[in-house]
Amino acid sequence: MRSYRSYLLGRLPSALLVLLLASVLIFAILRLVPGDPAVTLAGPDASPETVAALRERLGLDGSPPAQYAAWLGSLVTGDLGPSYVVGGEVADLIGDGLGATAELTLGALLLTVLLGGALGILGATARRGWVRAAVRAFTTGALSVPPFVTGVLLVLLFSVTLGVLPPGGRVALLDAPDLGVQYLLLPALCLALPSAAVLGRYLGDGIERALTEDHVRTAVAAGIAPGRLLRRHVLPGALPPVVTLLGMQTGHLLGGAVLVEAIFAWPGLGQLAEQALTRRDYPVVQDLLLLLVAVFVLVQLLTDLAYAWLDPRIRGE
Amino acid sequence: MTDPHSFPPPSPYLSSSAETSAAPAAASAGPARRATLRAAGAGALFLGLGLTGCRSAVAEAERPAAAAGGTARGGTLRVAVNADFTPALLFAQSAQSYQHRLLYNTLTRYDDRLRPQPELATAWSYAKDGRSIRLTLRQGVTYHDGRPFTADDVIFAVRNLQNPVRAAQLRATAAAVTGFEKHGDHALTLRLAHPVANLFDLFEFMIIADRETVEDAVTGRKLNGTGPFTLSRWSPGTGLSLTRYDRYWKPGRPYLDAVELRVVGQADALVSALRTGQSHLSFNVPGKSLALVENAPGLTVTDYATGAGAYYLGVNTTVRPLDDRTVRQALARAVDRDRLLRQSLGGHGLASATPWPTSSPAYSEADRTHYTRDPGRARALLKSAGLGGLDLPLLHLSTPGDTSIAESIQYDLRQAGVRVTLEPTDPATAQKRLIAQSMPALWTMSHGFAQVHPATLAVSAYPFNEAKNTSHFRSPEYTRIVREAWTSTDDGTAAARARYARISRILLDEAFIIDLAVRGQVQVASTRVRGVTLNKFSYLNLDDARLV
Repeated sequence: MRSYRSYLLGRLPSALLVLLLASVLIFAILRLVPGDPAVTLAGPDASPETVAALRERLGLDGSPPAQYAAWLGSLVTGDLGPSYVVGGEVADLIGDGLGATAELTLGALLLTVLLGGALGILGATARRGWVRAAVRAFTTGALSVPPFVTGVLLVLLFSVTLGVLPPGGRVALLDAPDLGVQYLLLPALCLALPSAAVLGRYLGDGIERALTEDHVRTAVAAGIAPGRLLRRHVLPGALPPVVTLLGMQTGHLLGGAVLVEAIFAWPGLGQLAEQALTRRDYPVVQDLLLLLVAVFVLVQLLTDLAYAWLDPRIRGE
Repeated sequence: MTDPHSFPPPSPYLSSSAETSAAPAAASAGPARRATLRAAGAGALFLGLGLTGCRSAVAEAERPAAAAGGTARGGTLRVAVNADFTPALLFAQSAQSYQHRLLYNTLTRYDDRLRPQPELATAWSYAKDGRSIRLTLRQGVTYHDGRPFTADDVIFAVRNLQNPVRAAQLRATAAAVTGFEKHGDHALTLRLAHPVANLFDLFEFMIIADRETVEDAVTGRKLNGTGPFTLSRWSPGTGLSLTRYDRYWKPGRPYLDAVELRVVGQADALVSALRTGQSHLSFNVPGKSLALVENAPGLTVTDYATGAGAYYLGVNTTVRPLDDRTVRQALARAVDRDRLLRQSLGGHGLASATPWPTSSPAYSEADRTHYTRDPGRARALLKSAGLGGLDLPLLHLSTPGDTSIAESIQYDLRQAGVRVTLEPTDPATAQKRLIAQSMPALWTMSHGFAQVHPATLAVSAYPFNEAKNTSHFRSPEYTRIVREAWTSTDDGTAAARARYARISRILLDEAFIIDLAVRGQVQVASTRVRGVTLNKFSYLNLDDARLV
């Protein structure tokens, strides 16, 4: 059986190739889209002379291969340089946005696990039929209502009507945890609901399947305590596919954050991406998209590792 | 009695446990309940941390200002903006220029009748030939870093705007300043290439930035001005935090301790921020959303009738049959400006066939209503041009507000026999096509610069530029009258009014830009807010603002 290290090394080349191909695609697509940073900087009342001067200043008059090489160079050296339009250093912009998005995504992930876990267990084990029906109805609703509707409804209820939570904005958790949590709750809940519903259904199905396994029946017959039964015999069988799903849902949460950040004025990567993309801020968009691809690749890699840890047979395949 | 449904009914485990032993079934209710309760407990803890924390985020946002000497002093004014500050556009008019007059000053400011009032320039006098102007500068003004403001800062400011990379729309006016003569530290003469009619537009527009840190300013690292507030922090994507400058040159001002400009890009979120009191002030509530705040308790809606630009229908005069001005006039007559104003702009603004707001010296009620909706006449004009019907593409920005305007135009033109195909386009692409003069037959966007001196529109707004514009419209008469208006300094005279009337007449007759509605700035504010004003370029002035 292979070690974790060789298992990891076996997956690295394909991950790097994905990143390289993604960089070429990102660069090419951005250049193929009409409009450039100089045009958006100059504004609708500007003259062509102003646009030409800006293009020269931003280095957009160089050949595309030279611009691509310069970008790769900046990635290798770690000096991402200044933003063209948004302002500030690209590394700072992405760092700040990443912190905010990570906070939102982790908050949503935590809620996904808590809510999805509770829904899954409740849906699979509740005594009363109406409880299971309610869980099914809730998960169906959470899956079918789009986040921009959920977000508006949450704001109307908790901010406008009840006035207990702020409708948007962010206070960093590290700066003021008590305020930060309140700013985080609504966007995290809005983002988490669909994922929690998926997770709950998946987990519920997994538990139901695990309950039919022979070793679980044997454990029940042996009179093992229910808590221990669930932890030691039912969940280990039900969790591996759920962990895989959670990895995929993390990607969806990152993607979904773009929309939720707009609804709640959450200054994360989604907001930054929207702002940079609409204004053709090449350095920000390029680095940001590549980072998102890298995060997705990393999450998939970690998911594979977690899967291999939960089921050692995977490493041997 | 044990409930047989303690584990799921479809499960064989359930049936076996229920049938063979009551004990496991009874016990099996435990893990389900406990696990669920644990999860719920953790969730409740997470929620409780927020809701019962030391402070309430909602209450924190509503801390009152202190009253002293009959005037409310202190407090933090929170302004919701729909776009972030763009430091690279510090010296250009952009979508978000509200912070300019908070951090900086200008030389003069216009009143509502476009009469210049002192700011950093306290007095001025033109030479008789109009080829120079002498400025007396305010003394005792310091930048936020303590350095005194002098005539050298004015010289730098003008030269800075002459640099094309600053993308200043008033660069042509700045470029007309060809020399400087200092008279000590607080007076100077600007020498001009020719008399410049819109020089005070430049003085209203041009912020006096610190010449020693200008490169830091255009990257947002340091914004050192003479304005009433200093920059505490700029968080890209989040907004700006400003604090009171204690050595501001206006005695006792500003009243506020701090100002926060928060980026709230989404319209619903912006409205929620205002309705919940999280933000006190905004100028970015879209027209269609204004109805939501007009009757909301604790909010007031105020129109700035002096205008901030205008929506227009652009016409490419090289596309047949739009090279025939009769056809263009037919389009101008087909549009229902009043309905567009009501439906797309929430009724705020002024339906108008000309670009001028009522405060402009070029404004005329007859010109404003020169084209009113008359589909019958539009069809007749098309017929006289030999056209029974027409198919035209219309490019518009893909934002909801602009799409609504485009759909309104599409409907109106269809009534006149013109079938329009909409081409939704993202703003960057649209701007590229505008500047590259590669627009399709029709496009709709908004333009600025009609709210100041009439000459500025044709000199600084590219769609109206007499030498090069997106409509490909050229006319010796238009060029002559625009040049004449720009190089004359006889404002207020009958001759000046006649020139402006001539410009309006050409715009109406040639219809290469068909104006639809003058848009004013619409201020939505908490009833606690007093003393807010904007300059003609939408720089927010909070010198006298307070929270009551």
